[in-house]
Amino acid sequence: MPLAPVDETVAIGDLVRDPYPIYRRMRAETPVVRVPAVKRTFLTKAAYTKMVKDDVVLFSSNDPTTPMEPAFRAHTLMRKDGEEHRRERMAMQKAFTPKVIKTNWAQLYRDITDRYLDRLPRGETVDLYSAICAPVSARILTHILGLDGASDEEMMRWSQQLIDGAGNFAWDPKLFEITDRANEEMDLHIAACAERLRADPDDSALSLMVNAADPIPWSQIVANIKIAIGGGINEPRDAMATILYGLLTNPDQLEEVRRQEAWAAAFEEGIRWVAPIQASSRLVMEDTVIGGIDIPKGDIVMSIQASANRDEDLFHEGEDFRVFRDKNPHQSFGTGPHHCAGAHIARRTVGEIMMPELFERFPDMRLPDPEAIVWHGFGFRGPLSMPVTLN
Amino acid sequence: MVKVTYVAADGTRTEVDAPPGSNVMQTALDNDVDGIVGECGGAMMCATCHCYVDEDWSDATGARRDGEDDMLDCAADEVRPNSRLSCQIRLTEGLDGLVVHLPEEQV
Repeated sequence: MPLAPVDETVAIGDLVRDPYPIYRRMRAETPVVRVPAVKRTFLTKAAYTKMVKDDVVLFSSNDPTTPMEPAFRAHTLMRKDGEEHRRERMAMQKAFTPKVIKTNWAQLYRDITDRYLDRLPRGETVDLYSAICAPVSARILTHILGLDGASDEEMMRWSQQLIDGAGNFAWDPKLFEITDRANEEMDLHIAACAERLRADPDDSALSLMVNAADPIPWSQIVANIKIAIGGGINEPRDAMATILYGLLTNPDQLEEVRRQEAWAAAFEEGIRWVAPIQASSRLVMEDTVIGGIDIPKGDIVMSIQASANRDEDLFHEGEDFRVFRDKNPHQSFGTGPHHCAGAHIARRTVGEIMMPELFERFPDMRLPDPEAIVWHGFGFRGPLSMPVTLN
Repeated sequence: MVKVTYVAADGTRTEVDAPPGSNVMQTALDNDVDGIVGECGGAMMCATCHCYVDEDWSDATGARRDGEDDMLDCAADEVRPNSRLSCQIRLTEGLDGLVVHLPEEQV
């Protein structure tokens, strides 16, 4: 079998600005392709991305070349497989179940959303990205994790700094100095919260972990909380902003979503159309073949779920935002053992609470200048603002 | 081939044939059966392939596997004694005729 063709034309900047035309071309011409600018082999078809993530023996999560460990000052479950991964993940998974959300937290999340909506002025143009999408996601996550006392600003800053550190592929020491400081702040706060939750347990993730009969090591409890901070704010924020954009630029679909209360479908379509997490790496453990291309042991393949989500084999007119699809087998939450642990939470909070409450409060809001929205990001992607006129 | 019948929450029955060795989740996906999502691909990490095994088949399908109980706690719909993650039910010739009922919601 031939080795993967090499695409020298693709620069990181192009992928950050708009990767979708590049992925469309790759799917058609070179679905398995080496991209020297990223030092990875891109997989752009849904069948390949799924195959790689489902097989953790052949495609390991423990890619030692990523800067995740220094950024989090921990070997986190994101980079583990097998029993160790399952144990660390299941230690907090029960805090993220639909039942816990429904019975214990749904009303609180509604109240939080209402409180932030109450602050918004009418008749003005407001950036919902910074006024709602980000802080409401941060506030809700603070409760889910058991980090009471952390401000929205702290949660958002920690989240961003962890993500920037984990994406520090240039190994810039200045970025690690920033994550070091953030880690010190988080370590202190997590320890203080743990002490409180040992005395007064609740259903939060931190409480479940510290009060477990057979707890995982403290280092991994802290690492889990940091992973949830890094993965639980920007993604719902970007998902919500993307869904808003999709609905406000497609008024006919918005009308139908409201009529059918199809918020869940709108949520799925938003995250399919522009996946908040666009790509993930896996280390190839043995020589193998993907799509007729030889992939050598030691290569790092990149599952591009952003591209899988628009694969012509699965989606009709996948480049367009269309809520009312017959099927929507997107991979935005990933697949395999590392399937997003927060998927149920995201669906319930963004899809069932935040979106409907927002549109109920401001039924006639509009996006005055869709062309002005800047979309950004290769690994993580979303709009950078969402200025909406509220009335 | 092994015949599997999926009964949707609204009572709709879908009968499909599957090769032995496959599982109840994958068979649903391969045949476009609605009501099973199977988002984690059978890694027992998402609880979106929840099903209720028909009483007549509970012995044949056997007990839940290690770790399945914990993950079932994460299912969106009510968990009953006959609840299983369908990705963990491997199809053998002995399961020819298997009937499973699907919950109203998976996500």
